[in-house]
Amino acid sequence: MIRLAYLDYRATLKERKTWLAGAIFLYAVLAIPMILERPPPHVRETIAAWFGNPDPFVVFMFIWIDLAMNKLISFVPVVLGSAVLLRERDTGVLAIMAAKPISMSRYFVIRATSACAVMFTLYTAAQLFGAVWFSFKIDGFRPGTFLAAMMLHAFGGVWATALAATIAVAIRRRIISALVSIVVLGMFVGLALVGYYQPAWKTLTLANPISLAASAMGKLGALDVFVLAPPMFVLMLLTVVTMALGARIARDMEA
Amino acid sequence: MQKAIEVRGLGKRFGDVEAVKDIHFTVEPGEIFGFMGHNGAGKTTTLRMLLGLTRPSSGSASVLGHDVVHDTLAVRKVSGYLPAAYALPPDMTGREFLHYIAAMFSIPRKIANDRTEALLERFGLLDAADRKLRGFSTGMTQKIGLAQALINEPKVLFLDEPTSGLDPLGRHDLLEYLASLSRDKQVTVVFSSHILSDVETICRRVATMHHGRLVACGEIDALKREHGVATMDALYLALVRKEGP
Repeated sequence: MIRLAYLDYRATLKERKTWLAGAIFLYAVLAIPMILERPPPHVRETIAAWFGNPDPFVVFMFIWIDLAMNKLISFVPVVLGSAVLLRERDTGVLAIMAAKPISMSRYFVIRATSACAVMFTLYTAAQLFGAVWFSFKIDGFRPGTFLAAMMLHAFGGVWATALAATIAVAIRRRIISALVSIVVLGMFVGLALVGYYQPAWKTLTLANPISLAASAMGKLGALDVFVLAPPMFVLMLLTVVTMALGARIARDMEA
Repeated sequence: MQKAIEVRGLGKRFGDVEAVKDIHFTVEPGEIFGFMGHNGAGKTTTLRMLLGLTRPSSGSASVLGHDVVHDTLAVRKVSGYLPAAYALPPDMTGREFLHYIAAMFSIPRKIANDRTEALLERFGLLDAADRKLRGFSTGMTQKIGLAQALINEPKVLFLDEPTSGLDPLGRHDLLEYLASLSRDKQVTVVFSSHILSDVETICRRVATMHHGRLVACGEIDALKREHGVATMDALYLALVRKEGP
């Protein structure tokens, strides 16, 4: 099964949708420094007030997470995950795959896992490239803190991909499931940072996986394993539960 | 001796439509068994039920002793299947696709590699093996489809219209190859086709389906004698005309 998962991951990496997703990440990395060249003072002040920190690096991280990466994890997972099994069914590939000695549940897990792995690969590559690129372009940029915060956020992207795949097999229509995934993920992303704007709601927002993924935002000055590990663990657990649910839903799917 | 395939009162209903009605037949190990019938006669549904891809509404069936409903994965482990309508993953190469299918059977890497190369050579696809499947012609696609059905060295091969898309030479080669699999390796082949001459070339026994019912099952020569006809076409027409429209 490990070899099949590896071959599936390699095959998914070569698909056109993966190249599209890669191009979107690349665009984000290249474009954000330009957007950040002259942030208006009122934006700078507002962000400093929300996070209680006037450090320009905090302004950058807010813009990077909220404007770029949060938007990408409400869209790229849909590109990668929302056609899992459905595209194979609609194109006729599933007619062959379904006749092999692998249950539909297990095949879903393989396909969804490779979509998640591709999401993680693209995400990590973008952050690594960003860490180098931003070091030249952003004053006061701290690559270590940046990578630590974004590694946690990557787990949110992986969960979002598993959710898009599960929504796909639950709805079983490609376009509708993609739209539902965008709406659901958009809702989670839209509410992700509410706890910083309205501190009274902060505890409530911890039920939102994307808030957990972005939780490093409030602790950029003191990021360590004790800050990062618990939300990472919760997001991993959520990913496993979401995928298990998808596998259960997929088991009676016919080619 | 255990039958390769036993079908006992198998039926399938889709809503109000009875696609397959109470069919019974058996296939001996190593036999090439032909399936004839018009479009929508129930051939594909029957093959799909035998692979556990469609759940029967009634009756039961077994493949090499494995129940097709309760032991589906065991049935698929020993079977190869080429559907009538399918597509190949467009972004994979032929070689990658065969490795992928081998991994679905948990075939060790070295053996998978050897079988992949042998099948690519057998179907004359070595030169195109590293090209993406999206650029393959209909005939090449069908050859890769056949190769994937053979990668696990199946004991039972279900082929739904396997000669469609193949040129006359490719058709001839395939029929010879199927005959050799049956003769030399005792592979059981269930072969559905509209091309009655293909059925006659390699099958000793056939089943004819008409509107979901099995209207005849037996040795081709015996059926011809019984209906007083000399050719496959005439036999098929005699069988279905007897049943009415």
